[in-house]
Amino acid sequence: MVRFENVGMRYGAGPEVLRDVTFVLEAGSFTFLTGPSGAGKTTLLKLMYLSEPPTRGLINLFGCDLATARRADFPSLRRRIGVVFQDFRLLNHLTAFDNVALPLRLAGRRPEDYEKDVDELLGWVGLGDKLQVKPPTLSGGEQQRVAIARAVVGRPDLLIADEPTGNVDAEIGQRLLRLFGELNRLGTTILIATHDRSLIERARAREMRLVDGRLVELRTARA
Amino acid sequence: MKTANLRAPIAPREAGAAPLDVVIAIMAFLAALALGASLIADRAAEGWREGLSGRLTVQIIPPERGATNKLLDDETSAAVAVLKGIDGVVAVTPLSQKETEALVEPWIGGGGVISDLPLPRLIDVTVLPGAKIDLGTLSQLLKTAAPDSVLDDHTHWIGRLKSLADGIIWSAYGVLILIAVATAATVAFATRAGLEAHHDIVALLHQMGAHAGFIARTFEWHYFVSALVAATVGAACAAILFSMAGGLELAGIEAVPFLPPLSLHAQELAWLAGIPAGVAVIAWATARLSVLAAVARIY
Repeated sequence: MVRFENVGMRYGAGPEVLRDVTFVLEAGSFTFLTGPSGAGKTTLLKLMYLSEPPTRGLINLFGCDLATARRADFPSLRRRIGVVFQDFRLLNHLTAFDNVALPLRLAGRRPEDYEKDVDELLGWVGLGDKLQVKPPTLSGGEQQRVAIARAVVGRPDLLIADEPTGNVDAEIGQRLLRLFGELNRLGTTILIATHDRSLIERARAREMRLVDGRLVELRTARA
Repeated sequence: MKTANLRAPIAPREAGAAPLDVVIAIMAFLAALALGASLIADRAAEGWREGLSGRLTVQIIPPERGATNKLLDDETSAAVAVLKGIDGVVAVTPLSQKETEALVEPWIGGGGVISDLPLPRLIDVTVLPGAKIDLGTLSQLLKTAAPDSVLDDHTHWIGRLKSLADGIIWSAYGVLILIAVATAATVAFATRAGLEAHHDIVALLHQMGAHAGFIARTFEWHYFVSALVAATVGAACAAILFSMAGGLELAGIEAVPFLPPLSLHAQELAWLAGIPAGVAVIAWATARLSVLAAVARIY
């Protein structure tokens, strides 16, 4: 599903943020990415969701070598990825419903086909009564849940989440973890960057740790 | 359950876009004035050409000495006889003294002054359209029959009027092109500023796998509609101005003596409707190209 080989990354003439990062995410796997702040977690995620090109090394996504892929192929690759951004990146002029429905609109689906799905999903993340509310009037945790719903609504092949439970209480965090687990059981490969140890312990999933731009594999998934 | 607006626009209308609408409205107004001027000039030139082509004028110039009415009458009759015998001539109309004086009156005024002037006798000749008349031979025949006659086929006047009209028309076209370029540059600048303000939206759509064309469509539509509305207002103001000029002329108030009427006919006013369409297309095209260029710069 995802393969990094000796990937390095630096911004401009600055120091290398990632160094010789090599790993594989198997299809249908559930993985946590951990590490101290500034270790390069967000940069690694950016490379994976095609926001930045690597400075060196090879990245293979869905069997496609990004170094040799045509730029015209990138949109279709990106549509297979759901991303929960650390800063949410919601569109403030759209309602919660329209923000969540955005990937489906991009996929060309008709409103009458996805209206029920979006309603149900927002209900699942506890925002069933805030469908028509716009992000500026939602709390940080509510915005985060809208962002998560937007990332999973299209049932992506790969879900990448950057601190998805950073602004929610334990109960909602638990609920979101169940949502990710359900999505994983349906076949989505999941990578979550987090500092939340309780989340990692509950999920009993594989953990990769980044330290000073280098990847240290800590543990594999437990039964 | 009834949910949110399912057709909500992905890209919001930029706050502060009103100044752009005002600029576009002014440019459309100027473009409509330029187009109207070219239409008036074209119509005037056509009128001048129609009025003078197919016509000849023969003047019997009074000799400096010994000019008598009888001599001029005799030469006029002789010239009329010659002209009537020419193939292609359909009408020969000698102007009376009164008619000749009426032609001169607007320039030097009425009263007894005109009757003291040695005015030439004029013969208005209508020629069949397309008739091949050898003007050199005709002039010779006239000189033989009426030694003081001068044949004028108006070529000189038509040429000068055509040059004047062409100059006005091409100047108007030049102004139109300048306005189109300025409109395109303004809209392109505003589009880039709008994209800067909404870079997060462009980046998000790009990140979610939207094709460049899809992203461009979310923005170009705004610019197309707002430019169409603003330009319609500008062109409508110009149309009202031309209609007011027509109203003044109908009321007998001539805007500028000797120049053609400054009003536009109904079918000419319809041409002004092309201005909003043209401006909207320019806005649409520049917005689209600007967005595509911006998206191409993202990885």
